[in-house]
Amino acid sequence: MRGMFGAAVACLLTAAPVMAADFPAKNIEFVIPVSPGGGFDTYVRAIAPIMQRHLPQSVNIVPDNVPAAGGARGAAQVFRAKADGYTIGIFNIPGMLVPQIRGDSGLQYDLTKMTWLGSLGYDSYGIGVASSSPYKTVADLKALGRPVKFTASGPSSTAYSTTMIATDMLGIPREMISGYKGSNDYVLAVIRGDGDAVVGALPVMEKFVESGELRIIGTFDETSLVPGAQNAVELGHPELSKLTLGRLVAGPPNLPPEIAKTLSESLMAAMKDRDMVKWSKDSGIEIEPGDAAAAKANLESQFNFYTQYNKYLGPAN
Amino acid sequence: MLDVALTAAGNVFTFQSLLFLTIGMLIGLVVGVVPGMGGTTALAVFGPMTVGLDPYAALSLAGGLMGAVSFGGSVTSILINLPGGAPNAATCLDGYPLAQQGKAGLALGASASASSVGGVIGVFTLLTVIPISKKIVLAFGPSEFFLLAVLGLVTIAACAPGKMLRAMIVGGVGLLFAFVGFDNVNGGTRFTFGIEHLWEGIPLAPAMIGLFAFPEMIELSAKGGSIAKDKGKVGLTGTLDGVWASFKYWKTLLRGSLIGTLVGAIPGVGGTVAAFLAYFSTVQASKDPKSFGKGNIEGVIAPEAANNAKDGGNLIPTLAFGIPGTAEMAVLLGVLVLHGMEPGPTMIMHHEAEIYGLILTLTLSSVLASVIGLMMVRPLAMITRLDAHILVPAVIAISFVGAYANNSLAGDIVLSFVFGVIGYLLIRFDYPRLPLVIALVLGELAERSFDQAMMISSGSWSIFVLRPISALLLVMIVAALTFPMLRTVLRREKAVEEFS
Repeated sequence: MRGMFGAAVACLLTAAPVMAADFPAKNIEFVIPVSPGGGFDTYVRAIAPIMQRHLPQSVNIVPDNVPAAGGARGAAQVFRAKADGYTIGIFNIPGMLVPQIRGDSGLQYDLTKMTWLGSLGYDSYGIGVASSSPYKTVADLKALGRPVKFTASGPSSTAYSTTMIATDMLGIPREMISGYKGSNDYVLAVIRGDGDAVVGALPVMEKFVESGELRIIGTFDETSLVPGAQNAVELGHPELSKLTLGRLVAGPPNLPPEIAKTLSESLMAAMKDRDMVKWSKDSGIEIEPGDAAAAKANLESQFNFYTQYNKYLGPAN
Repeated sequence: MLDVALTAAGNVFTFQSLLFLTIGMLIGLVVGVVPGMGGTTALAVFGPMTVGLDPYAALSLAGGLMGAVSFGGSVTSILINLPGGAPNAATCLDGYPLAQQGKAGLALGASASASSVGGVIGVFTLLTVIPISKKIVLAFGPSEFFLLAVLGLVTIAACAPGKMLRAMIVGGVGLLFAFVGFDNVNGGTRFTFGIEHLWEGIPLAPAMIGLFAFPEMIELSAKGGSIAKDKGKVGLTGTLDGVWASFKYWKTLLRGSLIGTLVGAIPGVGGTVAAFLAYFSTVQASKDPKSFGKGNIEGVIAPEAANNAKDGGNLIPTLAFGIPGTAEMAVLLGVLVLHGMEPGPTMIMHHEAEIYGLILTLTLSSVLASVIGLMMVRPLAMITRLDAHILVPAVIAISFVGAYANNSLAGDIVLSFVFGVIGYLLIRFDYPRLPLVIALVLGELAERSFDQAMMISSGSWSIFVLRPISALLLVMIVAALTFPMLRTVLRREKAVEEFS
């Protein structure tokens, strides 16, 4: 009996590095914490087939939508998955960080413990107004003499907290018109005239500028050069550049380093792949490859930033 | 515009595109029949399979799918009183009584022709409003959405002749259910009792399945026998009669189609409201309103035309701003993005031909799906002849699949059960069930829009009167509430006159 036990233990001990070397041996699940059709869904579906070409063994990377609870369900699924590399997920940072910092009850994940594998890019934010409106600068908004109406999604969303934090940093008195269902809706709302201005992600707003409906009057990037808009430095608040929306990829906590490295490298290679670059250009969706270290650093920086601005994150659920 | 349309046509009428159109149609028909599963799930699964082919493959698949799902949903509405999806719910009102009278073929035939004509009219109306599509999308803000939701809720009551008070009570209960979950405007969860599953509110598909499938099946297994009360009478000669019925009642057909396109254009809930508004206006316009709910064929034609015409209307936000109006459109646009088409307002600027291709495939699918559906009427109508001990387990099993397929959550199956019990109690005490479904669909929109309208107007109620479309909707609501009553009073007076 003891001999058999010893043999079994010896097998297991030697098996671990062998398993890592064989990774991946079966399909990998890529969790998408939102319903099909959204921006994050599209990113994963675009990159999954390309990423699987860069894996050492030929397996499929299968996108799996796990919507509900604003992404918390999908995040929990990745957090609780076995740390064998066969489950990874995409995360909206700070969107999914906010419930954790705010202290929502029943949350089953801790993003600071995940194994970060890389990032697909970051969107910067800016302030837009309807092109038919008379406002040309942020100063114009401040000069209104009344609270400026900003359209946004619900109080749990990144758009909402970003709007609150940005308007406070810039000293714009504001009133929130919240509850719109998505970025297209709250940008359209300001074009319609429901509100005076909107804080939105630049890629979304830029499309409405191209079609002539929106005017961007400020950007929260330190170096951006949108004609007619002051960037964060010109507005006097370079710290606005911390307000970003990141698309980060992670695996469960305590992923073995060799497996994490394999996943991380294939993700990086996929982002630089010729087909991915072409898709990015055609669809106008930018990909800025970031490696595992950069992703981890971004998460930590965002965690600190939003912990500092905790009071803007809305009531805990 | 003509050369763009020709380019589109040239790309749609290729072997590959037509192949994908057919595949999409078949998937749509099957998916539409399974209660609870809709175009969204199917498109999410099959759409990415077109990656690597040209965008027209994806468009054809999606157009085929979307055009066919509605008809598939009508089948279960008529045959077993279980709506395939919320827009199909109004078809149950007269479709199922027809099936019970052994006239399933008639109902299915009418449904097929009404669907295809409705779909085509929807597309043509869409093409005519393209120049003002942006204005249409911008004209509907929170205040309009609120009033539209109220209009939808009011028409519920009118859809249960003679039971208006009960309908409103059930509608009220439905609203209570609709408010469960996270409040998107002010934050905070309501009525979830700490159950995480209810965080997102009560999902529609499991509730609808529980409400309609289980009580019917319980009744059927208790009574025994089949859905068609007299098996001998299940005739299939009725099918052609049904097809021609739509043309015979062309005014109803036209009314349903126009309401479908216009109301269906309103993002999100347009489809469901359109079907019920079409039904309601047909009842009001009829010389014999009391015959509705008992198997009046016009009660099938109107909502069926409307719920296909809405597919045209659903494209208006996409044509105007490249954004989705419904969940299906969101998935569709996601598939297009996979093909390298950028989402947003610039999509139309750079990809006009592809969008026209989509419109064309939708039209084709609307017509072809009905043709295929008609070929299947014989076996489908036979379902009403099936004995309970075969039909009941099958329906319940498929219903569970539908309830689970929604979100892959076991909790949804529990919810189905709960609503099954509620549904059974409702039919035992002779309360209509449809108002609950409609309230579930519209409740969240109504509340959210009201809150937003109040924020926009800084608390002033005048916003509902000062905006022209809001004012129009208000008038329609008042009319919907008073017209039926006025009509009864007027007819009673006339009867008294005649009597004396």
